[in-house]
Amino acid sequence: MFKRSMAALAMVVGLAGPASADTIGYADAITLLANSCGSDIGKYCPKANLGNWEIGRCLMQNRANLSGQCAADLVRVGQSIEARKAAQASAEQICATDIRRRCPMTEAGRGRVLQCLLKAERTVSAACNAAITNAGWR
Amino acid sequence: MKHIVLLAALALAASTGANAQQRIDRNQIINSLYQTEATVARLDPIALEAAAAAAAASGGDNAPGPLSDSLSAYPQLSIEINFDRGSARIRPESYHAVGLIADALHTPYLMGQRLVIVGHTDATGGRELNFNLSKQRAASIYDALTTTFNVPAAGLVAIGLGEEQLQDPANPDSGVNRRVQIINLGE
Repeated sequence: MFKRSMAALAMVVGLAGPASADTIGYADAITLLANSCGSDIGKYCPKANLGNWEIGRCLMQNRANLSGQCAADLVRVGQSIEARKAAQASAEQICATDIRRRCPMTEAGRGRVLQCLLKAERTVSAACNAAITNAGWR
Repeated sequence: MKHIVLLAALALAASTGANAQQRIDRNQIINSLYQTEATVARLDPIALEAAAAAAAASGGDNAPGPLSDSLSAYPQLSIEINFDRGSARIRPESYHAVGLIADALHTPYLMGQRLVIVGHTDATGGRELNFNLSKQRAASIYDALTTTFNVPAAGLVAIGLGEEQLQDPANPDSGVNRRVQIINLGE
């Protein structure tokens, strides 16, 4: 559902391909939405909840009526959340070589391996460091 | 010890009203929930919720006392999250707080831990109604975290305790009792 609404959102603003925006933290992203879309949420989406991106989908359905700022930030926030999800999905693969080289003795468990990579930041590849940052795992 | 300090900080924040939610940052959440040693907690959240359901169904207007004395032993924090009246819809002014929890849960310090989201109400209204509402509200936060904010669902549990575990039993109707508690049960 979430992916579909994001795809629809990307089409509306004429974007092709995956979201490429830099990711921002979830708190920052969703606060931007709450601030920019506060009155539109009250008007058009008084029942929509935060889970399952209900609120984003509801705003999208009412996009013709949204304030300019809300419409712009809705796209930005949706892209950021989606880009972060993509980074989370691909980080382990991007960091596979770094994990083998820098953390071979680390006991399994995603948190522990990540903490090892964070400690080894200076010797970890740029791609892996970027993936960890974009995943919001720092 | 940590949670005591944090509760004091929260009480302070609560007294300033609207600023309360801006006072907590991601690292405070991490620090409050972080386990320094691998603890395996004895607490069974599902059994605790079942006890709350049974207590709430026993009738009467006010819960007689807390269900569990052991809850306070675990790393935890309480966060104020606003919902629509009588509903599990998270109000937009509390999106920030839920986003902060998500940011904290995505760090390696809390990754892979078993965390319980506990919904609480004050004692206004019927016990069963409060139990169901708190359960729905905890589920609402769980949903936001695991879908919109992509927190792995494994290890995350949401339960409601209604008015059965008041923060301030001396003032059962006080707003401080309406809270969302997050407890770390360890790996």
